[in-house]
Amino acid sequence: MTSWTEFWQLLELPAVQWAGLALVLGAVGLPIVGVIIIGLDIMPVRFAMMHVALLGIAIGLLVGIDPLLCAIVACGLSGAALTPLARTPSGLSGAMGLLMSLAIAAALLVLSISGVNAAGAFELLWGSILATRPGDVLLLGVLAVVIPGLFFLRRKQMALLLHDRELAACSGVRVERLTLILLVLVAVAVAGAIRLTGALLVDALTLLPALAARRLAHSLRAMVGWAVGIGVTVNLAGFALALMFDLPPGPVLVLVAGVVAIAAHVVPRHAVA
Amino acid sequence: MGDGSRVRLSAVGCRHGRRTVVDDVHLDIEPGQRVALTGTNGSGKTTLLRAVIGLHQAATGVIEVGGHRAATAADWARRRKDTAWIPQRQAAGRFPLLAEELLESSGAPVEANDAATQLGVGKLRARPLDTLSGGQLQRMYLARAMGCIAAGAGLLLADEPTAALDFDGQADAARLLTSLPVTVLVVTHDRVVVDACERVLEMAAGRLREVT
Ligand SMILES: Nc1ncnc2c1ncn2[C@@H]1O[C@H](COP(=O)(O)OP(=O)(O)O)[C@@H](O)[C@H]1O
Ligand SMILES: [Mg+2]
Repeated sequence: MTSWTEFWQLLELPAVQWAGLALVLGAVGLPIVGVIIIGLDIMPVRFAMMHVALLGIAIGLLVGIDPLLCAIVACGLSGAALTPLARTPSGLSGAMGLLMSLAIAAALLVLSISGVNAAGAFELLWGSILATRPGDVLLLGVLAVVIPGLFFLRRKQMALLLHDRELAACSGVRVERLTLILLVLVAVAVAGAIRLTGALLVDALTLLPALAARRLAHSLRAMVGWAVGIGVTVNLAGFALALMFDLPPGPVLVLVAGVVAIAAHVVPRHAVA
Repeated sequence: MGDGSRVRLSAVGCRHGRRTVVDDVHLDIEPGQRVALTGTNGSGKTTLLRAVIGLHQAATGVIEVGGHRAATAADWARRRKDTAWIPQRQAAGRFPLLAEELLESSGAPVEANDAATQLGVGKLRARPLDTLSGGQLQRMYLARAMGCIAAGAGLLLADEPTAALDFDGQADAARLLTSLPVTVLVVTHDRVVVDACERVLEMAAGRLREVT
């Protein structure tokens, strides 16, 4: 274990400071994305987005535009393209697998045309929290404002839409437009989170706090509150633990978030209701 | 609040896939009239009601509510605002929704809350819908419909609104449904509700016929 003096010295490193900032900003926006993912029943979205992002990178490399920008745009567009499938109850969840296969096939094709090897392209997609750059922090900062802002302005409509699409439609909610916005936001946020932390950590930042919150809360508003609270706590505690015991932050964060999610499912319901 | 909307259906047909489940339906309902729609399971009653608010797209025919047809998204938004709907299957939902959020979605939270109190479920407002019993949930949807009417809807479409209710609830609901200053089209197998309506229709294999 590192001593306290060493720990404080670590905190003075710019890389550690950027990473800490990224984790706090991420914890404000991403757990809400997790709640939306559960609400829309699109858990496999992160695998789909990983492959769509790879396709974006491949296209970027082929035509010579910033590959990461292409990845984000590709994810946003594919999120938008999924909107019509939300009309049927299981349409979206079923589409995730299809999107993943099509994206990886297209990516491999584009990569082979452009002559870049697939592993090299995948590497671009892989982040590490301690290699956080200012650009990533900016994206997370934007998400940390846009996502809670949208939630605050549209919480009633979102609660109805995620509960029952037809009820929402009959209550004056513009379901198509709101679904489109949510899907684009989820796609871009997941792509950004993969880029920041690698595919493993995406779950710790998005889904796990939301899964714990789903268990603890009985309304959308309470769920979002719990999810963000758990997200911030887990990220700070997990990162501090990793620094103290000199462990890789990614797996430690996932484990801490996982333990919290399991704990939330173990406490008896009446204890929290 | 007016005296209710006039409803006109002419040559309406609906399909599920290739199967025609509503066939050449003609119907005229005067403003404020209360109409009971009966018929065997699977005869197309739910599909017909859903077609009126655009949750099922009618394959043929014309549907007018209050003299308006719906073609654009804005038309449908207006149709849904003009119509209070009680679905047959009240989704407890995949995702939590509080009863008070359901009542608020009517557009007139105060009146919907009052109706909930009258229907004996006022105290359950803070509960998530998935913790309510079938009958309590149905009362909550009834109260929401009262809110929609207070917010200006001139037509009530109710799809078996008393199916999960106890005897008192059925009587309450029948009294409520028939005391409203709006046009009512109610799918029901409930004698009390049928007796409270001025006009009874029967649906069989997608076709509509007048009983009384
Ligand atoms: N989502 C659906 N997909 C395919 N067929 C359906 C669907 N919903 C209803 N149907 C069929 O359409 C017919 C009419 O159904 P419905 O309008 O629900 O009848 P009712 O309300 O009179 O019991 C039935 O034969 C039913 O099996
Ligand atoms: Mg039915």
